[in-house]
Amino acid sequence: MIAMTLRPVLRFARLPILAGALALGAHMLADPLVAQEALPGSQMARQSLRPYWHVFAAYAIVIVLIGGWAFSIARRLRSLEERLVD
Amino acid sequence: MTGIRRGAVALTLLGLAGLVALFWLSFFWVSTEVTQGVVQRIFYVHVPAAWTAFLAIGISALCSAVYLWLRDERLDRAALAAAEGGLVFATIVLTTGPLWGKIAWGTYWTWEPRLTLTLLLWFIFAGYFMVRNATEDPDKGKRFAAVVAIVGALDIPFIHVSVLWFRSLHPQPVVAKVEGPTLPGDMLATLFFGLGTFTLLFFGLFLFRYAVEGLRTRAELRTRTSAA
Amino acid sequence: MSAYVGRLSAIVRKDLVLELRSRERVASMAAFAVLAGVLFNYSIDTTRVRPQDVAAGLVWMTLVFDGLLGVGRTFHIEAQDGAMQGILTSPTPKDAVYLAKVIANFVLLYSVALLVLGVFALFFALDVSTNLGWVLLVLALGSLGFVALATLFAAISTGTSMAETLLPILVFPLLVPMVVFGVGSTGRLIAGRPFSEVEGNVRMLGAFAVGAVAAGAVLFRYVVEE
Repeated sequence: MIAMTLRPVLRFARLPILAGALALGAHMLADPLVAQEALPGSQMARQSLRPYWHVFAAYAIVIVLIGGWAFSIARRLRSLEERLVD
Repeated sequence: MTGIRRGAVALTLLGLAGLVALFWLSFFWVSTEVTQGVVQRIFYVHVPAAWTAFLAIGISALCSAVYLWLRDERLDRAALAAAEGGLVFATIVLTTGPLWGKIAWGTYWTWEPRLTLTLLLWFIFAGYFMVRNATEDPDKGKRFAAVVAIVGALDIPFIHVSVLWFRSLHPQPVVAKVEGPTLPGDMLATLFFGLGTFTLLFFGLFLFRYAVEGLRTRAELRTRTSAA
Repeated sequence: MSAYVGRLSAIVRKDLVLELRSRERVASMAAFAVLAGVLFNYSIDTTRVRPQDVAAGLVWMTLVFDGLLGVGRTFHIEAQDGAMQGILTSPTPKDAVYLAKVIANFVLLYSVALLVLGVFALFFALDVSTNLGWVLLVLALGSLGFVALATLFAAISTGTSMAETLLPILVFPLLVPMVVFGVGSTGRLIAGRPFSEVEGNVRMLGAFAVGAVAAGAVLFRYVVEE
């Protein structure tokens, strides 16, 4: 019963979990505290690089989600065509 | 069928080419916004994704309403395809928005009205699929999902007004508004290019998804007739 | 027209009589309201937050959860002993069935809302007397909008394998306007502000309720058809 209830939830949580992991990755890469405690100068440099990481992560999310959707459609299309051929 | 497939291929290829061009434009061509800096470039995918997600609920609700009226299976397939796309694009909005917000406002999440509205839209789409999947009788699932899409779309103006009012009641951190007539020409051009690109991609993949649903119906029909 | 009203009121009467006899839903909803008030009391740090300031939000959250508890079971009896089939094959129009269910649920939820208001006023020392009439109107409009949506979606969720677990997922996103406008106006009215200050909120709440009832009346037939 619990598994049955959770299954569709998990199915729809898949997208945000994936995207969230990407965002978290960008956060970890960009956060000077997570990266390392370094000299103030290089920390400044990291801090100012952080917006770039966020932009890259956002554009990566766009590619992953749209590509993922396209890929899943293609997979379903192929499997259905195979089913219809035999 | 083949006509749909050809249209889907054409639109998707155009959309993908547009996406490459959009990435190039927003990385190398458009000028950096003065107050927010480089992070504002998220704007060029964030806003088009939002536009597409709301376009999707509109299409889904419209097709659902006509489906309930005419009971043409094709309309239900279109509503389903649009809802799936809407879920994908709403997810893009909800993940790119916080990435932008963390830099621009200093926090991942604010109760910014349009972000909140998109979150609720995401749950409307999720409800659409949960209802469909939780019914044994497919026809019943289609009717239920159609009602969810219609009521969801009708409720969106109310939600929009309410989240706007809520914000006016509670002072928020100053939100830099990038939209408006003050947007410089090259940013406006990039934004419109993004809107066009995302719309093309949406319709291309929408047609593919629609074709998948058509094939599924045929496959199921065949298994049923061969079993009988 | 009078035949329509007659059939409608017959279903309303049947539902309310059933409820009065068994007192199943009203008893559990009333108990829920009081116990929620008790739990809320311990969830607020009264040295930091004055309960009066958050009371409006608590009243509405209790109403929402309590409403789901009660309205979620609207079609329970019918679904269990196949009585739904009887109602739907009868010549009664489907929208009359829906409106009757909405009215019966509204009577139930509004009485619970009055109880919630009374109990919370007692628990959290609220002074509701200055704007009592307006507060009652706001609660009525909110209850109507809630019941209209929840009844429609209760019919849907009863027809799925997920049953009641699906109802909040479907209804909560749609209820945001009701909570925003309801809490916004109730909070200020309880604080003794004049009605003119919340008039816009109350109008929107009314529009929401009317829209929800209309949409439900039109769409209900597609939910229950066989």
